[in-house]
Amino acid sequence: MRFLIALLSILPFGALAEAAQPEAGGLGLQPAATRIMERLHGFHAYLLVIITVITLFVLALIIWVCVRYNKRSNPVPRKFSHNTLIEIVWTVVPVLILVAIAGPSFSNLFYQENEPDLEVISSGNGDDPNIYPAAAEKGWVTFKAQGNQWNWTYSFPDQLDGSGYPVEFVSNGLQHGLAKDVTDLSTGPRNLAVDYPLVLPVNRYVRYQTAASDVIHSFAMPAFGIKTDAVPGRLNEGWFLVEEEGTYYGQCSELCGKDHAYMPIEVRVVSQEVFDTWIERLKAGEFEAAFDGLDDTATATTAEPMDAPTRLAQAQ
Amino acid sequence: MAMDQVSVAHDDHEHDHKPGFFTRWFLSTNHKDIGTLYLIFALCAGIVGYTLSGLIRWELAEPGIGPLTGLMEYFGYSGDQAVEHAKHFYNVVITYHGLIMIFFMVMPALIGGFGNWFVPLMIGAPDMAFPRMNNISFWLTAAAFVMACISMLLPGTGDFLGFGGGWVLYPPLSSATGHPGPSMDLLILSLHTAGIASILGAINFIVTILNMRAPGMTLHKMPLFAWSVLVTAVLLLLALPVLAGALTMLLTDRNFGSQFFDPSGGGDPIMFQHLFWFFGHPEVYIMILPAFGIISHIVSTFSKKPVFGYLGMAYAMVSIGAIGFIVWAHHMYTVGMPSDMKAYFVAATMVIAVPTGIKIFSWIATMWGGSIDFEVPMVWAIGFIFLFTVGGVTGVVLANAGIDHVLHDTYYVVAHFHYVLSLGAVFGLFAAWYYWFEKMFGIKYNKTIGYAHFWTMFIGSNLLFFPQHFLGLNGMPRRYIDYADGFATWHFWSSMGYAVTLVATTIFFVGVIEALVRRRKGVANPWGEGATTLEWTLSSPPPFHQFNELPEVKPESHH
Amino acid sequence: MAHDEVKHDYHLVNPSPWPLLGSMGMIVLALGAVTFMKGLFGMPAGTWWLLALGLASIIYVMFGWWREVIKEGGAGDHTPVVEIGLRYGMILFIASEVMFFVAWFWSFFEFAIFHGARVGESFDVASPLYSEALQAVGGQWPPEGVTVFDPFHLPLMNTLILLLSGTTITASHHALQHDNRRTAISMLAITIVLGLCFTGLQAVEYMEAGFSYSGTIYGSAFFMATGFHGAHVVIGTIFLTVCLVRLLSGGMSAKKHLGFEFAAWYWHFVDIVWLFLFAFVYVIPYLVLGH
Ligand code: HEA
Ligand code: HEA
Ligand code: CUA
Ligand SMILES: [Cu+2]
Repeated sequence: MRFLIALLSILPFGALAEAAQPEAGGLGLQPAATRIMERLHGFHAYLLVIITVITLFVLALIIWVCVRYNKRSNPVPRKFSHNTLIEIVWTVVPVLILVAIAGPSFSNLFYQENEPDLEVISSGNGDDPNIYPAAAEKGWVTFKAQGNQWNWTYSFPDQLDGSGYPVEFVSNGLQHGLAKDVTDLSTGPRNLAVDYPLVLPVNRYVRYQTAASDVIHSFAMPAFGIKTDAVPGRLNEGWFLVEEEGTYYGQCSELCGKDHAYMPIEVRVVSQEVFDTWIERLKAGEFEAAFDGLDDTATATTAEPMDAPTRLAQAQ
Repeated sequence: MAMDQVSVAHDDHEHDHKPGFFTRWFLSTNHKDIGTLYLIFALCAGIVGYTLSGLIRWELAEPGIGPLTGLMEYFGYSGDQAVEHAKHFYNVVITYHGLIMIFFMVMPALIGGFGNWFVPLMIGAPDMAFPRMNNISFWLTAAAFVMACISMLLPGTGDFLGFGGGWVLYPPLSSATGHPGPSMDLLILSLHTAGIASILGAINFIVTILNMRAPGMTLHKMPLFAWSVLVTAVLLLLALPVLAGALTMLLTDRNFGSQFFDPSGGGDPIMFQHLFWFFGHPEVYIMILPAFGIISHIVSTFSKKPVFGYLGMAYAMVSIGAIGFIVWAHHMYTVGMPSDMKAYFVAATMVIAVPTGIKIFSWIATMWGGSIDFEVPMVWAIGFIFLFTVGGVTGVVLANAGIDHVLHDTYYVVAHFHYVLSLGAVFGLFAAWYYWFEKMFGIKYNKTIGYAHFWTMFIGSNLLFFPQHFLGLNGMPRRYIDYADGFATWHFWSSMGYAVTLVATTIFFVGVIEALVRRRKGVANPWGEGATTLEWTLSSPPPFHQFNELPEVKPESHH
Repeated sequence: MAHDEVKHDYHLVNPSPWPLLGSMGMIVLALGAVTFMKGLFGMPAGTWWLLALGLASIIYVMFGWWREVIKEGGAGDHTPVVEIGLRYGMILFIASEVMFFVAWFWSFFEFAIFHGARVGESFDVASPLYSEALQAVGGQWPPEGVTVFDPFHLPLMNTLILLLSGTTITASHHALQHDNRRTAISMLAITIVLGLCFTGLQAVEYMEAGFSYSGTIYGSAFFMATGFHGAHVVIGTIFLTVCLVRLLSGGMSAKKHLGFEFAAWYWHFVDIVWLFLFAFVYVIPYLVLGH
C-alpha cells in the first residue's frame, strides 16, 4: 500500500518539459510534450484515483471482516447467503464507475485517433487548448518511420531531393551492448541516443506514418503519448504537435528479435528555421553538414562512422 | 438396450486393488492418480519456468548485459559473440518462461491436477467420463513439454538456438523471415499437441459434469469449483481450435509456401494477431476461473458459512467466459485499427469488470458475519482476493485504448498480468494445494511452514511486481534485455523481490519434504463444519475407487 | 478398504497402454515432421521415414484403442448412461471441429471482405511498402490473375453428391434401426462410394486449378479451407468404412450402434461445412465479384 500512496502523492501533473526520458526512480508517466499526452496525464490521474479508491475499499472490507468476523470475535457464524439489495448495488455501482471512465476515455481516444482537419482548425478559437489555429495554417509536416532489424529509416515523403526522391536517412542506436559501443555519455543517455536523430519543427501539426521492412516494430514516443506498430505490408498513421523544443527519446516497442532493446528513437524538436535549414541541406545531399548544423552537443557519431553517400545508398 | 449384459460387465475389474507401479502410474485410468501426475508434472514445469524467470530478473537487476553474457561465455562463446548470443537467449528465456508457466504450469496444475482430483469427487462421480482419454490428455501434455524443451535447443535463427519471439508468436518474427530454423516448427507442433491434450481434457470435463453428477445434484446445486471447471472447459473447447488453425497457417507459411501472414503474397501479419488473441484472451480466463472456483470453497469453508450469492457466483463465471470471447483486440490497440473498433473493444473489455466485481464482493460477503478461521489455505485465499483486485483494476486502465497507447508493451502490462497470474492464479494454486493436501495425500503439512511460505511469497512477489507499474508508466518497454539507466532503481528492487520469492519457494519445498518425511496421518475432514462438499465425506486419501454406491444429494441440502 | 460392490452403471476402464504409446508416437511424429520439413539430427530435409514411423505408430494406437472400445461396447460396458456420455463427447468433439473451421473461414473472410478496406482510401496507397500486399493481389479479390472455379460445374456436382450422401446415410441409419441390415449395408456402401466420388472430383478440380497454394493469399486460403474439408471427408469415409466392415461382420444391432451414429453425425457435419464453403468460397465470390 505504501507504494500506492506514494504513487498518489506525486501525481504527474507536470508542466511541459524540455527533454523527456525515463528519470531515476520515477513513479509516473513521463512529462508531456504534446496535448495528446497532456490529456492522457489528466486521464491517467483520474483513473489512478478511481482504481486506488476501489482497491483501498476492497482492502478495507477485507481488513474489516478479518477483524470483526474472525473466530474469536464472532464464534457463531451467521448463515445468510443472500441479500438482493446489496447484490444490485455492487452490480450497478461498478457499471456507473465504468460509464464515468468511458466518457473521458472515448473523448481522449477520438482526439488522438481522428486526424485533425486543418482547414477547420485554422479558423478555430485560439483559446481552445486542443487545437492550434496558427499551426494549422502552415499545414502538415509528414514523415515516415520505417522499422528495420534493427534501426529506423526516416523519410519525408513531401521533401524531395535533387533526383526526385524523398529525403531519407537511417538512424542507429549508439549502443548495442557490445564492447565497441560509444560509451561517451555526453552524446546522450545510454541506450536512448542515436547517431542521426529525427528532426521536427516545433508547433507544427506532424503526421507520421509507420511501416516495416522485415518484422513488426513499434514507433513509440512516451512524451508524445503515441505508440504505433510498424507492420510489414501496412502503413499506419497518426499525428501529434509538439509544443516545446527539446530532445525526446523513445524506444522500439514491439519485440523484433535480437536487438529489439537497441533501436531507440531520438527526436529533436527545433524551431522552424533550424528545421528548414536541416531539411534543405538534406535535400542538397549535405548529409553530415545538416546534422552538424544542429546543436552539436547532442549529436554524436558512431564508432565506425559511415559516410553520407553509403548511408543514403543503404537507405534506398 | 443390452441391459442383460450389464450385470456381468464389471466382473473383471478389480476394485480397490491397486495395480503395480508401472501400470498404476503409466497406464492409469484413475482420475486421482492422473491428477497427481498432473500436479507432479506442473511442479517440475513450474521449477523450469521459475528458473527461467530467475534468469530474467538476474539479468535485469542492473543495467547493461551481464549474467547472460557470462552464461554464454560458459557455453564457449567469447567477446561480442557472447553478447549477441546473450541478446537472443534473453528473448528465448522470456518466450519459454511465458509459454511454460501458462501451458505447462498453471493449466496442468489447476485444470489437470485439481480439476481431475476434485471435480469427480465433488459431484459424487466414481471417475471421469472417459478415464483412458483422461490419461492421454496427461501424456500428450507431457509430450508437448518435452517437444518444447527440445525446441529450445534447436536452431532458431542463424546459429542462435531456440525461438525468441515472445509467447504470442507474432509473425513475421515467427515465420521464415524472423526464425527460419527448426526450433519454431517444433514449438508449433508442441503447442498443437498441448492443444489437442487440452481439447480432449475439456471434452472429458464437460461430459463428466453434465452426465455424472450424483443423483439429486442439479446444476444449480453443483459446487462452484465444478462450475468453474465447466466454464473453463467450454472456453478451452471453443478457443483452442482457433489457435490450432492459426498455428497451422503459420506452419504452412513457413514450410509450404502459403501466404497467410506474408504481405508479399497479399497476406497480413495482423490476421495472426486476431486469431491468436481470439484464443489468447479466453486463455487468460481459462487460467483464472478454476482459481475463482477454488477460492469460493476455501472462503466458505473457513468462514463456516455457505457461499454468498451462489447463483450470482456461478453465472458471473459464465458471463466472464462469454464476454471473454468478444474482447480480444484489446491486446492490439496499437496495430492500426480503426478508432471505432477500438472504442468497441474498450467498452466490451470494461464490462468484464462487473461480473468480476460481483465475485470479489460476494467472497467478502461470504466472510461477512462468518467465524473466520485463518488456516493456511484461507490466508492464501484472502491474499488472492486482494492481489487479484490490484491486477484487475490495472487491467481496466489498460482497457482504455487511449492510455494503452502509452502503456502497451511496457512493464505496466507485465505488472498487470503478473498480478492476475503470478499473484492471482498461482496464489489460487497454492491455496488449493494447502486446502486439499491432506485430502490428496493423506498426510498433514506443517502449518508454520505454510504460513512462512505465504508471508515470504506475499512480500516477495509484491516487491517483485509492484515496482513494475512505475517502470511501465515511466516508459520501460517489455522484452528488453537492457534498459536506459533511468529505469535501474525499480528494476533493482524488482529483482530483490525475486530473491525473496526464492526464499519462499525454498520454504514451499521444505514444507512438502517435511510432510513427506514425517507422515503425520491425515483425517477425513480436517476443516470441520465449514467443509460441506462431498470430498470431505471420504477418507484421506480417498479409496482407489470412490462412490461405488453413488451418494444421494437431498433436495434441501445446499451447495 | 472395503471391497464393496459397484452399484453404478458408469464405465471404469482398465489401465491401458494406448495413451502412453500414443503420446510417444506423437513425439516421433512431431520430430519426424520437423525432420521432413527442415532436416534434424544430421538428417537432411525431406527425410521421410521418421515421419512415416510416427504416423504409423499413431495409426496403430488409434486402431488398437478403438478396437478395445468396440470390444468393451460388445461386453456391455456401454450402459445407457455411458452411451449418453459418449454422445455428449462426440457432439463436443464436433463443436471443436467447427471452431477449427472458423479459423479457415476467418482467414478467407479477412481477405475477401477486408482487403477492400485495406485498399483503403484514407491511406497512401501509392506508398511502395503499403502497396506491396496490394500489388500481390492486384488490389482486388480474388486477386488479379486468379481464375476462380466456376461454381456451377464440378463444385455444384460435388454439392449434389454430398447432399445425396447425406440422404443415403440417413436411409442406412433408418434401415439399421428397423433391423433391416441388407438395406443398411447397401445404403452405407452407396454413401461411401459417394464420398469417394467427392474426393475424386475434388482431386480433379485441384489439378485443374488456375492458382496454387503457394502463389497468392487466395490460393492459400482456398486450399487450406477446402483442403481441410477434403481431409475431413476422407476421415469420414474411413469412419463409414469401419462401420460397413462391422455391419458386414455382424457387429452393431438395431438398438446398439453408437459407432454408426457418430459416423453419421460426422458425415453430416462434413456435409454442412461444405455447404458453407460452396456458398462463401465458391458461389459468392464468383457471382458478386465477378471473376
Ligand atoms: C489470469 C489472467 C488475466 C486476467 C484475469 C486478466 C484480466 C483482465 N485484463 Fe489482462 N492480461 C493478461 C492476463 C489476464 N488479464 C495477460 C497475460 C496479458 C498480456 C498478454 C501479453 O501481451 O503477453 C494481459 C493484457 C491485458 C491487456 C492488453 C494490454 C496491452 O498489451 O497493451 C488489457 C487491455 O485491455 C487487459 C485487460 C484486462 C481486463 C480489463 C481484465 C479484467 O478481467 C479484470 C477485472 C477485474 C477487476 C476490475 C477487479 C475486481 C473488480 C472490482 C473490485 C469491481 C469494481 C471495479 C471497477 C468498477 C473497475 N489485459
Ligand atoms: C502463469 C504465468 C506466469 C507466472 C506464474 C510468472 C511468474 C514470474 N514471472 Fe513471468 N511472464 C509470464 C507469465 C508468468 N510469469 C508471461 C506470459 C510473460 C510474457 C512473456 C513474453 O513476453 O512473451 C512473462 C514475462 C515476464 C517478465 C518480462 C520479461 C520481459 O518482458 O522482458 C518478467 C520480468 O521480470 C517476468 C518475471 C516473472 C517472475 C520473477 C515470476 C515468478 O518467479 C514469480 C514467483 C512465482 C512462483 C514462485 C511460482 C512458482 C510455481 C511453482 C514452483 C509451481 C508450483 C506447482 C504446484 C504446487 C503444483 N515474467
Ligand atoms: Cu524493433 Cu523492437
Ligand atoms: Cu485480454
